[in-house]
Amino acid sequence: MLATVKSISPKARNNFFGLLMGVAFGFFMSHAGATTYDFHAKMFLFEDFQLMIVIGVAVMVAMVGVSIMKRFHVTAIATGEEVDFVKKPYQKGLMVGALLFGIGWGMTASCPGTIPAMMGEGKVAGIFAFLGLLVGTTAYGILQSFIQLQNQPPTSR
Amino acid sequence: MEVIVWSAWVGGLAMGMFVIFHFWLMGKPAGCSTGYGNFCGLLCKNIAYFRTGDYKTINNSKLWFLLGIPLGGFLSALQSPEAWHFTFNMGMYDAILPQSDAGKAIWLIFGGALLGFGARLAGACTTGHALVGGAMLNPPSLLAGGIFFMSAFLTTQLLFGT
Repeated sequence: MLATVKSISPKARNNFFGLLMGVAFGFFMSHAGATTYDFHAKMFLFEDFQLMIVIGVAVMVAMVGVSIMKRFHVTAIATGEEVDFVKKPYQKGLMVGALLFGIGWGMTASCPGTIPAMMGEGKVAGIFAFLGLLVGTTAYGILQSFIQLQNQPPTSR
Repeated sequence: MEVIVWSAWVGGLAMGMFVIFHFWLMGKPAGCSTGYGNFCGLLCKNIAYFRTGDYKTINNSKLWFLLGIPLGGFLSALQSPEAWHFTFNMGMYDAILPQSDAGKAIWLIFGGALLGFGARLAGACTTGHALVGGAMLNPPSLLAGGIFFMSAFLTTQLLFGT
C-alpha cells in the first residue's frame, strides 16, 4: 500500500490532494449555507447574518491558525517545503475588478467558489453562472493576450 | 435542492479549519477563481495568456481543486432528506429576476461573466481575497474584499428595490 503511494509521481499526488481539498471545500461551503441563494439576499438586506457569521468566524479561526503555523515554520505535507504564506499583490484594475465582481455577486447570489458546488447540488442556475464565468475569464485572457501582443516590438512578429 | 445548513458558527469553524488545513497540506493559499483560468486554457488552446505565468502548466492542483468542488456539493446534497434532483429554483430571487427561463439563463450568464472578468482583474475572488487574504490581513485583499461586499450590497439593494 505504502509502496504504491510512493510510486505515484509527486505531480499526480499533488493533483489528487487538490481534488480532495476541492471536495472538502464544496462540502463545507454547501453546509455553511453559501450555496443557498436566500442567505445572500438576506445578508445584503440585513435580514439574516448566517453568511456574515460564517465568513467572520472563518477569518478569525484561519488568522489564529496562520499565525501559529508561521511561528513554528510548518512544512507542507504535499511538498515537504515550508508553507508559503504568499499574499496577493495590489494589481492595476483591482478596484474596478472588485466593483464588477460585486455586481456579479449581487446578480447571481453566488461566487466562483460556490457555483461548482451549486452545480453538484443540482442547481441549474449554477450551470448558467458557470458558463458566464468561463465567458468572463476567457474575455480577460483574450484582452491580456492582446495587450501582450501590442507591447511586443514590431520586428518580433 | 434544499441542503442541510449547519449553524453559522459551525460552518465558519469548518471553513476556517479548511483554510488552515489547505495551507498545511498544499503549502500555499487556497483559491478558486485562478482554476477557471486553467479550465479556459484547457478549452481554448490558442489564447496566449493561458499559456504563461500562473497557467504555464494547465494540469495542476488548482484545476483539480475546481473539479472537486461539484463532488463536495453533490455529497452535501445527498445528505438532504429529499432525493437529488435538478431545479431552477432560486428562492427570493425568482420574484425579481426575469420570469422566463431563457431570460433568467441570460441574466445568470451575464452575472457570471462579471464574476469571472472581475475576479481576474482583481486578482482573486471571495475565497482568495476576503477569506484567505483577510486571514493574512493582506491590505490589497482587504481593499478588494471591502469593495466586493459594498458593490454586492448596493446591487442587491437595487434589485430588491428597498
